Amino acid sequence: MTTTAQPRRGVQALNEALHAIFASRDDVVLLGEDVLDPYGGAFKVTQGLSDAYPDRVLTTPISEASLFGVAAGMALRGQRPILEIMFGDFVALGLDQIVNGISKFREMYDDQVTVPLVVRAPMGARRGYGPTHSQSLEKLLLGIPNICVVACSECHDLGALLTAAVEDERPVFFIENKLLYGRPNRRPEDGHIGELAVRESGDPYPALIFSATDFTEGTATVVTYGGMLPIVLDAVTELILEHEIFCDVVALSQLAPMELDSVLESVARTGAVVTAEEGTLTGGFGAEVAARVQNAAWSDLRAPVRRVAARDGIIPSARSLEDDMLPSVEDVVTAVMALDGVAR
Amino acid sequence: MLEIVLTREDANTEYALLAEWLVEDRTEVTVGQAVCVVETTKATVEVESPGAGTIVQLYAEDVEVELGKTIAFVAETAEELASLDAGARERTLPKPPAGDRKATRKAVELAELHGIDLSAVEKRGFITEKDVEDLVARAKAVAAPAGESILAGVSTEGVSLPSTFDSGDETGALDPGFLASLRADPDAFRSLSPADKVAALRGAGAWIGDGVELGEGSLVAAPRVVLEDGVRIGPRGTILCEEIVAIGELSQFGPDLELRCRRAFLGAGIWAGRSIRFGGGGHRDPWATLSVGDLAFVGDEAFVNVCRPVLIGREVFLTMRSMIVTHNVGHSVLEGFENRFAPVVLEDRSQVGLGAVLYAGSRIGAEAIVASSSYVVGEIPAGAFAIGVPAKPTGSSSHKLSDARRLELARRMIDDLHELLALRGHEVSAIENDSFEVAGTRVLFTPSYRGGLEPPAVVLTLEVRGDVPAGIAVLDLLARRVHGTGDVVLDSVREFCRKRGIRFEPGPWRYPGGLV
Repeated sequence: MTTTAQPRRGVQALNEALHAIFASRDDVVLLGEDVLDPYGGAFKVTQGLSDAYPDRVLTTPISEASLFGVAAGMALRGQRPILEIMFGDFVALGLDQIVNGISKFREMYDDQVTVPLVVRAPMGARRGYGPTHSQSLEKLLLGIPNICVVACSECHDLGALLTAAVEDERPVFFIENKLLYGRPNRRPEDGHIGELAVRESGDPYPALIFSATDFTEGTATVVTYGGMLPIVLDAVTELILEHEIFCDVVALSQLAPMELDSVLESVARTGAVVTAEEGTLTGGFGAEVAARVQNAAWSDLRAPVRRVAARDGIIPSARSLEDDMLPSVEDVVTAVMALDGVAR
Repeated sequence: MLEIVLTREDANTEYALLAEWLVEDRTEVTVGQAVCVVETTKATVEVESPGAGTIVQLYAEDVEVELGKTIAFVAETAEELASLDAGARERTLPKPPAGDRKATRKAVELAELHGIDLSAVEKRGFITEKDVEDLVARAKAVAAPAGESILAGVSTEGVSLPSTFDSGDETGALDPGFLASLRADPDAFRSLSPADKVAALRGAGAWIGDGVELGEGSLVAAPRVVLEDGVRIGPRGTILCEEIVAIGELSQFGPDLELRCRRAFLGAGIWAGRSIRFGGGGHRDPWATLSVGDLAFVGDEAFVNVCRPVLIGREVFLTMRSMIVTHNVGHSVLEGFENRFAPVVLEDRSQVGLGAVLYAGSRIGAEAIVASSSYVVGEIPAGAFAIGVPAKPTGSSSHKLSDARRLELARRMIDDLHELLALRGHEVSAIENDSFEVAGTRVLFTPSYRGGLEPPAVVLTLEVRGDVPAGIAVLDLLARRVHGTGDVVLDSVREFCRKRGIRFEPGPWRYPGGLV
């Protein structure tokens, strides 16, 4: 008996993309902790890269603040560094470099320089890693002008997103939810993933729009990204199978600068929005989406926007307690059912 | 049986490489023997067998395996090995294609209701209730007969219409002047004596049979009136129809009946209690047709709203305070509120329990039972027992009886009848061989009647295989037919059987009173 064939897992897709990027561009270098072979990085994304390109893969001490500084300098001098932060939580150690340097150089020096830096940051919980290795801190980055925040989901073309990030002249924070690595990278086939029709919209970091009704109707639009996508898809499936409530799902990959054309197009059809993110509730992704949607599509909305997110607290190590803290399938179902005019 | 599980050695990975098996598949291993090599990102480890036995490997070499998966079993006995083999065969069986379809709960329930195979739905994506409704509608469109305009396309499948149904001729047409006066001054008609009412209607052209009784204070007004022999309308009854009322022989209605609709076709032998109301909102609508089959039972205070066709089949039981509605009342359709007008059909021999409600669009299949206080939306399949709000089929409406059990039940009827007659104070002889005597007549049960017997006698039987001589009455309990004639004893036995749900041909029949 052997294992059955299945789509590539997220880690394979990212690893293959890195190999392809390194093969096609000499100016790309990768820096990070424990990224050398045979270990190949904590999550194995860089496996085989240092064997193939020993001069371009640099292992570093545990010192994120200087790491960001070094990478910023390399980018200013014409290289295209990819920085692997072992756990996204440690982006916080580099925040001064990001806020007061990386994000400002281009505008401060009147476009004479760019900082084409990619920061790969694994985020997310549900692995029992505890309070400081499980967070989803995207919202800390969303308010910083002049950077680009890209979150990939298991249904996005991971290789294309990473390649676009490397090509981008802006600093790009590339968010990889940890669960993505082990899960199949499910891409649309014939315009569908499973029973849901899927469209891609936006370039170079597209949103995926899912519909169970071929984009004809819907009760609500669930806006999400990254590691919440599989949970939202499970919730949407439950709503269909149990209640015949059909929702659109919009999975953004470009979180900043925030562009919501695909969301607004869906809302025109559905009239209601639920946001879903794995980070804590207050001042998060959902709050920004809600503010923008209410501003741009007030007349389309029949109900206040509802947000699903982690409770405002820290993430425990015990899996059972962790589950209580994090947004679940049930939370999404409940939020949709609680919208005005849904449950009768 | 022991399992060899790939345990987690490294917190950051979900997979490990099963690099090499150190033993052949299905060979003997001992406890602590190294059986394979697993490479994780942090170490290469040998995995040891947890016990002695035959190893059954589940993966090949050089494959990535998810951590936590069982990679091999160690069968400690020959039986365990055999069961592993059986399990392996089961696992390799192809999945049925229907299992892959994603159907909503509503769709699955509706499909089960109609016996529809969901693999018949040709569609990409989820299968919804609407998909199944479309299939049902297509099937119905093929099955429904053309014409039948007064039924507005409602399928009569499974419904025995009464012989009074839409005769199409002008039988019973009332003189228009008389009808106008009836409508203008109904109280004048109500105040007539029962006999004068019959005479007045007959004189104006109505078809009124023998022995028709129109109770004190009752009113019958319709352009066509057909009341066959023995029809009884109780005191204070009101029948006001826009086109026709036709009622078959021996049907009787208790006090305070209200019957208002465009067309009412009622069969023979119907028994209806007190304060029953047919009508309500929309009773003058073009589609307001009521049809009630022979031998139907309508309990006290039942309410049947007729603005769309209501078809009630033969021998249907609509019990006390049950309610049928063919439309709802509510707010504007332009604000998204439902505005439903739909027929209701009760197929032959179906039963509706006390206080149950049948919403517009309901259809109760033949011989189905709706439990008391249930609320029916949609269809209940034939032969089902349905209960709940909303009513859902939970089983079958009847039990399958063995021949022996049926015989036992039939034989017990003699015992029960004997006991009842004795308690009523009649002189009855002791039971001997399923037989006793009452009022000079022998009453007996025999599994198979083969002719003969000393008259007078009343025989209960499960089959009739001989001629029935004069003075003998034979009740065939399964074919539900009475052979021969008899007196008060036969009537009493027949009534006793009726109360056990056994109604005999020839009919209709009304118990004139007797021993029970």
